[in-house]
Amino acid sequence: MTHKYIFFMISRLFCLRCQFNPQEIFGLREQKGKREIFRMLKDHTIELSLPSVIGYERIAMGCLASFAQSVGFKQERIEDLKTAVAEACINAVQHGNKDSPDARVNVTMEFKDDAFNIAVMDKGDGIPELPTDPNIEKIIDDQEPATGFGLFLIKKLVDQVKFNEMTNQGHVVRMIFQQRV
Amino acid sequence: MQQDNVIKLERHGPVTMLNIQGDITSFSEPFLNDAYKDANDQGAQKILLKFDKDAYINSGGIAVLIQILANTKRNNQQISITGLSDHFKKIFHMVGITKFAKIYDTVENALEVLSA
Repeated sequence: MTHKYIFFMISRLFCLRCQFNPQEIFGLREQKGKREIFRMLKDHTIELSLPSVIGYERIAMGCLASFAQSVGFKQERIEDLKTAVAEACINAVQHGNKDSPDARVNVTMEFKDDAFNIAVMDKGDGIPELPTDPNIEKIIDDQEPATGFGLFLIKKLVDQVKFNEMTNQGHVVRMIFQQRV
Repeated sequence: MQQDNVIKLERHGPVTMLNIQGDITSFSEPFLNDAYKDANDQGAQKILLKFDKDAYINSGGIAVLIQILANTKRNNQQISITGLSDHFKKIFHMVGITKFAKIYDTVENALEVLSA
């Protein structure tokens, strides 16, 4: 199954709001080639509204991977994107929405100026105190808990990250990924 | 969205290989702990964790794996890893897992080195 169809199915099943028609974009790709896609995707945004349940981060990963591939991201960078957005979603479920089944995790993906700007929003109050980076030696020796890997990986994999952006709709973690490899 | 792991213990000379099928997340904890306990009960001294090449590993899974590393250190066992994609080799290096477990590109290479 091509990414075109994966993207289409994900969009139909899980994208509750799309600001563009993915069929038109991918149709253009087939007719005119990759350079045309770049123009068409600029300033366009995909929004996902996910159940606040661990496991649904995979939907965001799949959608983002398709989106990133369509604009020419290399596979290595796509894997970084997937891991970072997954960890942001997991953090939103567990710490932001505190595993509340009624809450949602909203993921916004915008590709603009050769970079992805990704926002992951939950209904929490933010991260009151950002944890220090996990120290594996201390964890192995049982001197500190095995926690903090999600935020650590986000910080390591993205070009810019901003935690604790509060909006009237909730708490946002905002990440920027440049296209470079 | 929870997925079970299937973990088979395989003896290859002095090496006990845990052949792990499925993604590695916090849901993997009981499966990995049970498999490690079985290996430990069998007297394993050299343990090789083999993952699926396309396995999804998240921070919860990394925390579970680090607890396994801690157990092997306490029990004076040697632990190694194989089957990872290039991305997760990078991730394991980032979080420091490679300080405690050597990563091999292939099962064959791992078994050759560990059996020597």
